[in-house]
Amino acid sequence: MERNQAGGFIIMKPSTDQKTLYVVGSEMIAGSIMKDIEKKGFRLATKEELERERQNVDLVIETTCLDLEKKKANLQMIEAAVEESTLILSSVLSISATESASFLNNPSRLVGFGILGSWEEAALVEVAPALQTDEEYLDQVSNLLSEFDKEMEVVQDEAGLVFPRILSLIINEAAFALNEGIASASEIDIAMMKGTNYPMGPLAWADKVGIDNVYSVLMGLHRSLGEERYRPAPLIRKMVHAGWLGEQTGKGFYET
Amino acid sequence: MKKDISIGVIGSGTMGSGIAQITAKHQLNVLLFDVEKDVLSSNIKRIHSRFDRLVEKGKMSEDECEDAKKNILPTTKLEEMADCAFVIEAAPEKIDVKKEIFKKLDEVCGEHTILATNTSSFSVTEIGSITNRPDRVAGMHFFNPVPLMPLVEIVKGEKTSQQTIDLLVDLGELVNKLPVTCKDTPGFIVNRVARPYYNEALKISNERLASIEQIDKIMKVSGGFKMGPFELQDLIGIDINYTTTESVYGGFFGDSRFRPSYDQQRKVQAGTLGKKSGGGFYNYEA
Ligand SMILES: NC(=O)c1ccc[n+]([C@@H]2O[C@H](COP(=O)([O-])OP(=O)(O)OC[C@H]3O[C@@H](n4cnc5c(N)ncnc54)[C@H](O)[C@@H]3O)[C@@H](O)[C@H]2O)c1
Repeated sequence: MERNQAGGFIIMKPSTDQKTLYVVGSEMIAGSIMKDIEKKGFRLATKEELERERQNVDLVIETTCLDLEKKKANLQMIEAAVEESTLILSSVLSISATESASFLNNPSRLVGFGILGSWEEAALVEVAPALQTDEEYLDQVSNLLSEFDKEMEVVQDEAGLVFPRILSLIINEAAFALNEGIASASEIDIAMMKGTNYPMGPLAWADKVGIDNVYSVLMGLHRSLGEERYRPAPLIRKMVHAGWLGEQTGKGFYET
Repeated sequence: MKKDISIGVIGSGTMGSGIAQITAKHQLNVLLFDVEKDVLSSNIKRIHSRFDRLVEKGKMSEDECEDAKKNILPTTKLEEMADCAFVIEAAPEKIDVKKEIFKKLDEVCGEHTILATNTSSFSVTEIGSITNRPDRVAGMHFFNPVPLMPLVEIVKGEKTSQQTIDLLVDLGELVNKLPVTCKDTPGFIVNRVARPYYNEALKISNERLASIEQIDKIMKVSGGFKMGPFELQDLIGIDINYTTTESVYGGFFGDSRFRPSYDQQRKVQAGTLGKKSGGGFYNYEA
């Protein structure tokens, strides 16, 4: 599947028998949603279709993370391209759903969602309504997620939701410890697996879910809550700037 | 095969008896110290019955069990540690108690004896500095329950020699643990890196973004953790968890990443400590 570099949104058209989706995105998660969409037999629409005329689709999925200016631009572009009532499911790893919704003329149709890692492997999707969200859109999300065989957990709106927030902070602490030279990456990972039963070492986990995604969550919390507690470890920041994003780029805390 | 190495273990409580148990099981001589004779003998009886249970479960032969029991000798005199190759201290987590023990051990132990502390929260450097052998003092931090948890952190103080670290790594492997070495920093590796699992869960709950049941479920389903942060606090003891957080927070001079939660503090103040008190974040009364 070719990925469009313009931003990170997916449009799904479930009103006909064969559902049509449109995907634009450069994030890891956009790619993994696209794969799943194909597997489920939905149709992926092209960017040209969307630009040709205002589309009557039932769902847009938008995944822009780190670049909030781009996220705002993408949300506004989506709003111009689809009907006013179309549900927009927007990734809230690095911004609240409420703030994302504020970029729209009709903020009531935006619902936030968050997963960290691969969409295909995620059994559960956290979903958060914005303060402005209309209840009926949550029902639509619920129906959609059951079509993807995903369990939905509705939580309240804040950047990073629950799992992405907690895991990113664990990874951040492991990166601080590594940066301070208290132990090597593999020693830190082994310690967490063998000393407290973690399913994966935090640094190997970061490589898997994408260091850019972890950085997005930390930046989002730091910006939204204004607490030093969420300051990204310098090593994580530099790795993102160096393009060492983990498995997706072949280099992260480990070489792959 | 019986190995001719003697290990002193100071304190026969939760950690000390666990350390004595695995050490004796791996054919090392153990001198187990405690201040009170009757505390010591009842703790040794408990270790013996754990060996018996291993025999029942077929994890140990009768002979091995008898040998292991014989490998543990009780003592209430630190002087008897003189010829030990290693002494591992697992006395209560009070700095004055530990300093006094290390001062005394430094006096009575042979020149080559390596002194290790199982402390969770004190600086190994600080404890080493009370002795005249800081190069032969290190941390050897086991996890509870000792017989089940594979990890041991070997902690290098400012003056700890590499040889001391190497010997403690060997000792860890000899008792079938997985040693990782780390620098003497607050919380070492595990107690530090694990803080956000509890602290951030508490903060999310405090901000009413999700219920404790939801947070536990999400961390298990999305993260693959065996237990959620609240279930786990109830199991460990909310007071123990809170104390660890407080000590890491103090160790980092109040860095907000480690700031404890008043919700957790309230549980401790109320004596609602988890499973052991019949209730914590969840209720365990029948
Ligand atoms: N319990 C844990 O989960 C855990 C985990 C890792 C490390 N630790 C550390 O291990 C050490 C021991 O903890 P514990 O949970 O086994 O405590 P505990 O209270 O179960 O055992 C302490 C033992 O020391 C004895 N004691 C009291 N005063 C003494 C003295 N002056 N000299 C020698 N012994 C004395 C007590 O009689 C008791 O048997 C502490 O430093 C603690 O921080 C505990």
